[in-house]
Amino acid sequence: MVRYFTRLRVRRIYKWGGRPYIFDRKLKSYGFDVEGQEAVTTVTPGQYILIEGNDDEYPFVAKLLKLFGDESHKQKKALVQWFLRLSEVPQNKKLLLGRSPHPQEIFYYLGRACDDEINAESILGTVHVQHVPEDTPFPEPGTKDTLYVKLSWDTKAFNVLDPVLMQDTSASTPPKPAESIHSASKLSASKILSAKRRGSAADTPGVRKKLQLSIGASECLYLRIRNYRAAAMKRRPIVRKRPIVRKRPIVRKRPWRGRPEEEIARPPSGPHTKRPARRYVWLWNLLDNTQELISDGDDDCFVPSKKELQSSSNEEKTDSEEETDSEEETVVKKTRGRNCKTSVRTPHKTPSKKVTPSTPRCATPCIPSRTVPARQPGNILEEARARLHVSSVPESLPCREQEFQDIYNFVESKVMDGTGGCMYISGVPGTGKTATIHEVIRCLQHASDMDEIPTFRFIEINGMKMTDPHQAYVQILQKLTDQKVTADHAAALLEKRFSNPAPKKETTVLLVDELDLLWTRKQNVMYNLFDWPTRRHARLVVLTIANTMDLPERIMINRVASRLGLTRMSFQPYSFKQLQQIITSRLNKVKAFEEDALQLVSRKVAALSGDARRCLDICRRATEICEHSASHPSSAGLVKMSHVMEALDEMFSSSYITAIRCASLQEQLFLRAVIAEFRRLGLEEATFQQVFVQHRTLSRVEGLQPISLSEGLAVCQRLGACRLLLLEASRLDMLQRVRLNVSQDDVLYALKPVRD
Amino acid sequence: MSKRKVKETHMPVGECISQVQMILRERFCHQRLPEKPVGMESQHKHLLELLRRTAVHGESNSVLIVGPRGSGKTMLLNCVLRELLEVKDVNKNVLPVHLNGLLQTDDRIALKEITRQLNLENVVGDKVFGSFAENLAFLLEALKKGDRSSSRPVLFILDEFDLFAHHKNQTLLYNLLDVSQSAQAPVAVIGLTCRLDVLELLEKRVKSRFSHRQIHLLSSLSFIQYLDNVRSQLSLPQDFPDTKFYDEWNDSIKTLCEDQLVVDVLQSHYNSSKDFRSLQLLLMLALSRVSASKPAIKPTDLLEASRVCMVDSKANILHGLSILELCLIIAMKHLNDIYEGEPFNFQMVHNEFKKFLQRKSHSIHNFDKPVVIKAFEHLQQLELIKSMDSSTAKIQKEYQLMKLLLDHSQIMEALQKYPQCPTDVKQWAMSAFG
Repeated sequence: MVRYFTRLRVRRIYKWGGRPYIFDRKLKSYGFDVEGQEAVTTVTPGQYILIEGNDDEYPFVAKLLKLFGDESHKQKKALVQWFLRLSEVPQNKKLLLGRSPHPQEIFYYLGRACDDEINAESILGTVHVQHVPEDTPFPEPGTKDTLYVKLSWDTKAFNVLDPVLMQDTSASTPPKPAESIHSASKLSASKILSAKRRGSAADTPGVRKKLQLSIGASECLYLRIRNYRAAAMKRRPIVRKRPIVRKRPIVRKRPWRGRPEEEIARPPSGPHTKRPARRYVWLWNLLDNTQELISDGDDDCFVPSKKELQSSSNEEKTDSEEETDSEEETVVKKTRGRNCKTSVRTPHKTPSKKVTPSTPRCATPCIPSRTVPARQPGNILEEARARLHVSSVPESLPCREQEFQDIYNFVESKVMDGTGGCMYISGVPGTGKTATIHEVIRCLQHASDMDEIPTFRFIEINGMKMTDPHQAYVQILQKLTDQKVTADHAAALLEKRFSNPAPKKETTVLLVDELDLLWTRKQNVMYNLFDWPTRRHARLVVLTIANTMDLPERIMINRVASRLGLTRMSFQPYSFKQLQQIITSRLNKVKAFEEDALQLVSRKVAALSGDARRCLDICRRATEICEHSASHPSSAGLVKMSHVMEALDEMFSSSYITAIRCASLQEQLFLRAVIAEFRRLGLEEATFQQVFVQHRTLSRVEGLQPISLSEGLAVCQRLGACRLLLLEASRLDMLQRVRLNVSQDDVLYALKPVRD
Repeated sequence: MSKRKVKETHMPVGECISQVQMILRERFCHQRLPEKPVGMESQHKHLLELLRRTAVHGESNSVLIVGPRGSGKTMLLNCVLRELLEVKDVNKNVLPVHLNGLLQTDDRIALKEITRQLNLENVVGDKVFGSFAENLAFLLEALKKGDRSSSRPVLFILDEFDLFAHHKNQTLLYNLLDVSQSAQAPVAVIGLTCRLDVLELLEKRVKSRFSHRQIHLLSSLSFIQYLDNVRSQLSLPQDFPDTKFYDEWNDSIKTLCEDQLVVDVLQSHYNSSKDFRSLQLLLMLALSRVSASKPAIKPTDLLEASRVCMVDSKANILHGLSILELCLIIAMKHLNDIYEGEPFNFQMVHNEFKKFLQRKSHSIHNFDKPVVIKAFEHLQQLELIKSMDSSTAKIQKEYQLMKLLLDHSQIMEALQKYPQCPTDVKQWAMSAFG
């Protein structure tokens, strides 16, 4: 709800009106009251309502069955029958429909995975829903503000909807028994979460319990919803101009995006709040038209910036067009199963620097600063090189949207709920694991700056950056509280911190990079890391990263692996298309590469490792080669295929063959002797003594002076130092065994042209 | 020498010779950097460009210089650094840190050394520079504080890079390479190694952070270039005080390099190894034969020097053995022939030796067993024979299994050269079976 309102800059106040009724006399009316205006929407059971969801464009649709409140009159609840939009159906099930959906089609929801008890304060307004029989076509799109229902969805298949269900049964629908709510709530992680989130902070399981008790003595309510339009907070115009929306969890497009956009953009003239809102967007347009802007004193939690204030005046006029624009961006992946997915947040410019909790110390270590400032890149190639450096922070992280989304949702939901959890992320090096998490955290930090989610602490430790697994405690504690203590003491303090309740505790998000290095024989470091999140008062979210997918199974003992849980994710190596996209997005219109050249690099790297770092390094090297090959640094053109080929050769080609070719004559002869001896023995191993006999014979054949044994050993050692040969310890002298580190064919190939 | 000319530049020959020796010794022993590295122009350019970018633009880099021993890795790097530090902008702007895998044998020592060379200690004031963990955290903090444009680039030079890869968890490498791939203080990590397979030593997460730039120093020097190099190595520099001696010396070097004997010697050296270290050793030995009475290098000097260089170390040991010890070695040789290289023990050798004494010997008297054992132990101390058992304590000395660390050819050669070797011993050695 918080996020929702920041998005729309509207505040509503819901008030109960009327007198309490006894339970079996059903609630009659429920109204929106817009402050200052008499724009009141009345909602009665049996009506179809819009419920705020993750997507401001497409709020949830449901049929109101019952309204009730709890004893304290603080919670306003409603019982609903859900309807689904196609976009809420899981992606892979959409094909089951077998036809292209009508843009305003919704489905009757028969599944049980959603909590049908919602917070009444999340109701946005009414909507008209019409049942269309199975074989009749959809009505002409003239009636824009009507949604059509034809089929039902039971989480597995689309079925023909029984028209009986669509009868107006507001009065006759028996209230759901309490235990059904209860069981449903068990099933539904998602709707509960969203309902909870919408509710105030007091919405704890304790309250729900009360609710069940009081269900018999329900009241009839009259609810006033005041809408404040907080004009000062409008920011959309600023934001919309940004071409790259980097931190938005956009994943998928809606299937019905092809619809003409004017349809939404033009609200019908004349304010009619009583009319059922076709679409949430213009519901608010209506409100815009009818209400004055109220800048209340109690809005003090939102401090608008000057820029925002200026832009807010434009906002009024251009509101409708903006909505049109925003539809392109406002696409949120949402499935019923995981309803706790993220909402759309206003895309804002991320702060360029990561906010890390600074650790003030008495002595700040630092590298002395330079006397002459670093030179800025001069030409296109230098610019490209700077952008392609792995260290440069890209504007966006392409190709990891799904992973970003999942991690984001995970952390966000935990932060929202104030609970804890663990997540294990695996993937080969250079697939963007750490970068994605940093991006997630950056986005969440920003969201919390915007008061969209509660504030949280982010702490990062890296198994490689500590000397001993137990140092993890020290580092965590130091980053949390800036205390410096020994490992044992730190462990005790952290234990205390995470197991005791504390007022106003904020969630801690802990990133553990290179998890495998925290392995100890008793595994108590890992055990603690995964045990703390399960404590009731810990509010700790642990994200762990390692390279191997099966790390929990391989190295963790059962009680550790069990605490880590099953929330796992693996980052696949990048495909060539993704690599290409990464480079292109990094270059960001700096035209330095030929298309084919880029493709070659990405294909080559994708075939070998899929490591993005490698890919960037090769590109960087190619720009250097390009620069050197040009006669003038200024005249260097685009990086071409040949440059890329050269860079690839440099980085991937094995140097063994060149090394053999460049070896001295005796060394080459020795290699030949090794092969000859291997052939004679039929083994891949021989003692130096045996090889030396061969060597002597060969040098006689070649007409060379045979070398002495000491010299032969020196030759052998030199080859061993380069690792062309693998040798035993040299104290074995003549008896040391010799093996080839290269294949025999390679040696022969390398020696051939020299001999011939 | 007796005629002192008006020319001031004229010096007595003895003085000239000592001058020459000083100049050339500095060249050969102190590894004085040449003006320009020979035969590695492209590598030189690559490395120089790379380090210049780090110094000037603050771009982090990592690079490995790979080449066999004596191929000029350190020389190349030092040349580049010298050239880099001559640039005015760069001079005060880089902090080179030299580490050597043979000195910094673990990360703890390496970290101490880094902080010492970076002069980070004084930043801490009088705080006791504590544990390994603190050290690491401290250094990382320091590097993290920096950013690309404002902090001084640090050049980490890791000699014997492969040895750093054997440190526990490769923590140091991971951290250095990680800094080089993230937006922290600009660093350049330069590794020098002779192992071609060095990348396989790196853990995959370390490897991923390395930029995979490798500069290979594989000399494809031809013999002509090798000869040229010898000439230039031996020639005196232009600023030699005595011009007459300068001309004479350089002429003599020129004729020396054209001498067939010298060419043959150098050719065999070139065939054996192309690196300059062994060449310098050879020239050094030749140079030491120059004196005031013989003010030039003669071809025979070089030949003699080459003989010293190429001598078989074990043959020398064999020449110093007593007849009894030599006889034991011959007995071992026969045992090797009979049992096809299987190990033997003292008792077998003694039996073989006794057989020889009974049947063939005319000149050699019987020795007591303890004397023979003593001789046998002496051979073992000289490492001409080597025990095959790992646990020596359990088995009696006489029955320990041994192997001979000599080649047949070496034994025969030694017998030929052995002064006053009895003929029956020689014959015994030549005969097919004991």
